[in-house]
Amino acid sequence: MDNMEKKKLSGKMITMIIIGGFVLAFLVFYSILSAMAPGRKLAEIKSGIIGLQQTSGSKTDERYFSDSAFIKLSKEKAFLQASISMAETDSVYMTLNIPDSTAKLAISGVEVHSAKISGMKMSKILRSGNEYLISEFFSSPMNIVSDFATIKKEPLMIKMAPKDTSEFKPDIIPDTSDYEPVNYILEMDNGVRLFVYQEIDTIPGDKQRLFFFDLNDRLKNTWRSLKRVVRFEVPEYHPYIKIRLPKADAKILYRAIPRKGQIAVYM
Amino acid sequence: MKEDDKINPSPGSGEVSDSDMTHQTSAENVPVASESFFQKARENEKLIKTIRTILGGILSAVAVLFIVIFILYLVPVLQEIASGQKTEFKSNRELKQDKNYLKQIALLTKDIQRLSKKYASFTSGQSYIVINTTDNRFFLYKNKKLIREGYCSSGSYTMLKTESEKKWIFKTPKGKYWIRGKITSPVWRRPDWSFVEEGLPIPSENDPSRWEYGVLGDYAMSIGDGYLIHGTLYKRFLGMPVTHGCVRLNDEDLEAIYNTLSIGSKVYIF
Repeated sequence: MDNMEKKKLSGKMITMIIIGGFVLAFLVFYSILSAMAPGRKLAEIKSGIIGLQQTSGSKTDERYFSDSAFIKLSKEKAFLQASISMAETDSVYMTLNIPDSTAKLAISGVEVHSAKISGMKMSKILRSGNEYLISEFFSSPMNIVSDFATIKKEPLMIKMAPKDTSEFKPDIIPDTSDYEPVNYILEMDNGVRLFVYQEIDTIPGDKQRLFFFDLNDRLKNTWRSLKRVVRFEVPEYHPYIKIRLPKADAKILYRAIPRKGQIAVYM
Repeated sequence: MKEDDKINPSPGSGEVSDSDMTHQTSAENVPVASESFFQKARENEKLIKTIRTILGGILSAVAVLFIVIFILYLVPVLQEIASGQKTEFKSNRELKQDKNYLKQIALLTKDIQRLSKKYASFTSGQSYIVINTTDNRFFLYKNKKLIREGYCSSGSYTMLKTESEKKWIFKTPKGKYWIRGKITSPVWRRPDWSFVEEGLPIPSENDPSRWEYGVLGDYAMSIGDGYLIHGTLYKRFLGMPVTHGCVRLNDEDLEAIYNTLSIGSKVYIF
């Protein structure tokens, strides 16, 4: 009986070690592929821009990429190009000026709202990648493909029409109290993700809601990455820009920008 | 000699004092008690199994938690560590004198000037109004300068539904519009939803009950698709989203805006 037990135990132990080994190997594999993702994204950006330059026949001398004057002018030009392209539509669009720490809303070139960014965090490839490539990457406006938020884009209320005048009740004063935290993520067509968080937690429980909002997003992204890794593919890398804005401004920006709106970034 | 022995008994004498006796007893008792506990525990297979299961559970939970934290939080950090290298700016004298470089810089400067001019041309020097539907505020500009601001009311984001699945959404449209018409002493022609909302039967197109006087204030400006900027009787609701899509203003603001904007003036709503 004792020997049987011991054999059982050692069998269990071996199974545990094998499973543990597999999990560890998978974690290492997942980490390696994930670590390769930013490099691949940068290469993708580079090949896209170089390809574009080759077709237009305007290849830039690579020595210029380390010249601050050239980079500064390139960034300015790229931002103006993107802004003009957005101004040609009649829709509301957003511009982010990173050096000035401002987020602005504009319609047809007219600035309609401006907000001060109080905190900012960016992906390393945007912060310290090849600056010329990044400025070219942002030379056309980014199109929002999806959004994910703690507030509703359009706070629609459904009201059933009364059958007759006896059922009619005059409208009551709307509830405009500020009871929801304002945090959202805008996903762009070029893979960039813009995270907007409210500056100060105004309601008790805001921190917890932000934690679960962030956790939900991480889970979604990790699931996407895991699906690619099990197919032996490098997961997609999404460069991010995280900004903190006053709550009221964050809400205005989110509600104003169309679902498939456009954003330009000046780095 | 005998007395000495009594006072200081030699170790080999076999005599032990009372105090020594108590120390030895308590020191021996502890290992004996714990030994018997472990002995009993070792003999109790159920207890061992339970402890093993609990420990195994805790270890598994810790391992799963570690994996989750690793994948969700540490891998993204790892990605950031592994990515990118800062561009090092070099002061290259040779490059600064290079003809192609100078040409490129001149070309970029020229492009920027041209693009800046083009972008600036989008902001007209004419009067225009900006309406913020989230905060329900308006901003009136003349010659690119803010001349008046205040509260307004915009769409309530209500969806009115009938049993026959007919529906209307009361929201103010966003984007660029312009003043298409200016009216003094406007009369409101009640649309179908206005009757449906009150539980009234919808009258014919030109029924007299469709016309209401004095509810839109002294002035109204049309921005297209039936949307108006007009006055209101419900001034206590200014600053709130309560309208059916139109923009409501108080009498003084409405008059100032009516006098500042002309047909063709831009209306920016966000």
